[in-house]
Amino acid sequence: MNPLSIVWEKTRVNMEDYDYLFKIVLIGNAGVGKTCLVRRFTQGLFPPGQGATIGVDFMIKTVEIKGEKVKLQIWDTAGQERFRSITQSYYRSANALILTYDITCEDSFRCLPEWLREIEQYANTTVVTVLVGNKIDLAEKREVLRQRAEEFAESQSMLYLETSAKESDNVEKLFLDLACKLIREAKQNTLDNNDTANAMPGEGKAISYLSCCSTN
Amino acid sequence: MAADNLPSEFDVIILGTGLSESVIAAACSRVGQRVLHVDRRSYYAGNWASFTFNGLLSWIEEYKAGPSQEAVQETWREKLEEGEEALALSPVDTSISNLEVFCYASSEEPEEEEEQAKDTTTCSVPQTPDSEGEVERCLLESSSVEEDEALAADGGSPEPAAGVDQTQPQGEASAEAEETEAEQETCPQVEQSQQEQQEKPFPAESQSEPKKQITYTKIVKEGRRFNIDLVSKLMYSRGLLVDLLIKSNVSRYAEFKNVTRILTYRNGKVEQVPCSRADVFGSKQLTVVEKRMLMKFLTFCLDFEQHPEEYQDFSERPFWNFLQTKKLTENLQHFILHSIAMVTPEVCTAEGLRATQHFLRCLGRYGNTPFLFPLYGLGEIPQCFCRMCAVFGGIYCLRHSISCLVVDKESNKCKAVIDSHGQRISCGHFVVEDGYIGEDQRKNTESRQISRAVLITDRSILPSDSEQQISLVTVPPMEPGSPVVWMVELCSSTMTCMPGTYLVHLTCSSSSGSAKEDLAPVVSRLFCTAVSPEEEPTEGEKGSEVPTMLWALYFNMRDTSAVDRSSYDLPSNVHVCTSPDAALGSDHAINLAEAVFRQFLPEEEFCPPAPNPEDIIYDGDGPQGEGPGFDEADPADASGSQGGESAEPQDVKQDAEQTGDVATEETSTRCEPGPASEE
Repeated sequence: MNPLSIVWEKTRVNMEDYDYLFKIVLIGNAGVGKTCLVRRFTQGLFPPGQGATIGVDFMIKTVEIKGEKVKLQIWDTAGQERFRSITQSYYRSANALILTYDITCEDSFRCLPEWLREIEQYANTTVVTVLVGNKIDLAEKREVLRQRAEEFAESQSMLYLETSAKESDNVEKLFLDLACKLIREAKQNTLDNNDTANAMPGEGKAISYLSCCSTN
Repeated sequence: MAADNLPSEFDVIILGTGLSESVIAAACSRVGQRVLHVDRRSYYAGNWASFTFNGLLSWIEEYKAGPSQEAVQETWREKLEEGEEALALSPVDTSISNLEVFCYASSEEPEEEEEQAKDTTTCSVPQTPDSEGEVERCLLESSSVEEDEALAADGGSPEPAAGVDQTQPQGEASAEAEETEAEQETCPQVEQSQQEQQEKPFPAESQSEPKKQITYTKIVKEGRRFNIDLVSKLMYSRGLLVDLLIKSNVSRYAEFKNVTRILTYRNGKVEQVPCSRADVFGSKQLTVVEKRMLMKFLTFCLDFEQHPEEYQDFSERPFWNFLQTKKLTENLQHFILHSIAMVTPEVCTAEGLRATQHFLRCLGRYGNTPFLFPLYGLGEIPQCFCRMCAVFGGIYCLRHSISCLVVDKESNKCKAVIDSHGQRISCGHFVVEDGYIGEDQRKNTESRQISRAVLITDRSILPSDSEQQISLVTVPPMEPGSPVVWMVELCSSTMTCMPGTYLVHLTCSSSSGSAKEDLAPVVSRLFCTAVSPEEEPTEGEKGSEVPTMLWALYFNMRDTSAVDRSSYDLPSNVHVCTSPDAALGSDHAINLAEAVFRQFLPEEEFCPPAPNPEDIIYDGDGPQGEGPGFDEADPADASGSQGGESAEPQDVKQDAEQTGDVATEETSTRCEPGPASEE
């Protein structure tokens, strides 16, 4: 868990409460529908032909799973995938990665090993990775057979799911299944998120040093 | 991973992704400028970068191999129009020199195997399916890793490790790394107070087990756990960088730890500098009288401007002389001069007092020392600003350079650039890292050099109850005329080195020439080299006290921070970002970034806070019926609960109907006091 977000969260504890907070990060080639998946899930929208999302770092949705409130913080690439220039820091402290390709675009599937290499290099080794084949509403243009993708996902020990952000197929399922898995893992870990808080630049506390020794 | 064409027009094109350039990129993009940010390297942050161990070996290889002269492309000639001339940029970077690598770690294989066996049997962490997958994944992908591996294998040192098999599949390393990492994650991270540190359940292997020898093979295998910075700096907790991170909300992209202690080298020993009030009073090195004297002096420094009578006579005279008049013992003078003010003895009193005051003001904001260090290394920070730039629409392109500038002869302005793919791209302003500027454009070729050493060691320079200390060590000149060296020792919880090792950065302004010559005297006094099992330690007691170096790198980095803009022969709308300076903080880079920004956007605010994603309310996306915003229940979401979001303050409601994109308008600043993680 990103300790920074937690510190940040702590400040609004009075306004909202949740049992878990997870950082989910989307990756994959440009144009495979990453942003659409996020907006469909968080806002119930399918924005056709939209450009890059300006000014939004991540989107948030709180869901309830078996009586527990789970806050999902979903990060998008901010367009840096277009020229394969994603910053390493983007991968740090993600709890889950959604690696997305477009089932109607063979090239986006063939790039997956490259993405996996980035994950291996920069992501936390305990990160949960899901492979998502998006755009199943365009079944007639399919270039990547489901079985092939399933086999690939299995060989890499990834979960696999096919979605349509446009028709809202499997989008809920994708995020909710992921949330369930993350909860399970968090429970297995005794990890108490709140203990991992690192120093962060915020206001900090007032100088206490020396303030009471002026009488010396 | 798609090859796309770049747009043909930008407001600002920035070449180089070091700290200053990245801050400028974020600042421009934030206020709506169209920014193109490119770097010819395959990684972010230029000379501010941090590398995994294997990445660093590749970097070393690259520099050792020397400049790979690309075929000079004159194709851009035809892209020029009437009244324009081309100004070529330098295709090679000459900022790094005198690279020397030494490997002292044993390359013994047997121990390695034992270790592996042990690791797997003691592993108590349930493996996720993914962890097993990684091994396979890596093996399957051998073709794609080949490139890096080959470099890593070649990049080894010419020293004893030459015979080591460095080409082991990385997958194994990560599988193993996983265990240790998982173990680590189950324990709370380092806190500031000593008690907490003691309570901290450390991974069993780092405490109860006898010290295992760390082999070179192991370092290479665990290479991804290293994040080795080319530039070693700390963040003053009230310095410009921290202020900017907070103000701009860029701080949300990174995590930080406190530097836990300040040490100094004195009379042949490493000692802890009493830093906080508690340190001073708890110090065993200081007498009661000294404690009083120190507190009294520091209290004076905190608001020295209020007491001009105390120092006026000395204002322009050396700080050292001033300290001598202050009835401070030699002990205290050393601490104040070298570790608190961190100035040279000749520095004038006014400056020494200001430095002391700055240190004191930074104390206690987040912890016991005035410094923070970013997890995963300083190289994260430029990337965080790049992310901010991208979030506001900036376009990023690594492995992409600018071959030349197109200069309008009449106005002497850079109106466009031609990139390394031969594309002509118009721009209003061009910002470039010093390293890309050719000799022809430099009127003054003199520059300073920074000497750097990077060591991987097996134990801390000053062992304490906790193994997870982050230390700043100030080393006064070993002999008159030699440079002041400062050293940063990082523990594995900073995510910059593998467990069981420490990463030590040494930095000084070069005096003699090569980094090795400048720093070797300090290194040889504070560290020893590994003794191979065959030659039993002859100077046993000495060798066991100081940390053993497993690996060392020396290099010089050109320091152009003092080069004035007027020393470059460049069009007026071309702005140069000089290299990192030799100072401990990053104020220079931030000042420079703000100055450049002000030159071409004087009316705009510099890095205003980015909206908090949780405060953005999406309501401008077409007709209301199309979909609910955060503040409405989503009928499609059976299990959804927007309770949290509906409790959000409504004061930041925003409109974005025209683009369909969410609004970027500034929100109420949300820089609440992040509770300092101590107490």
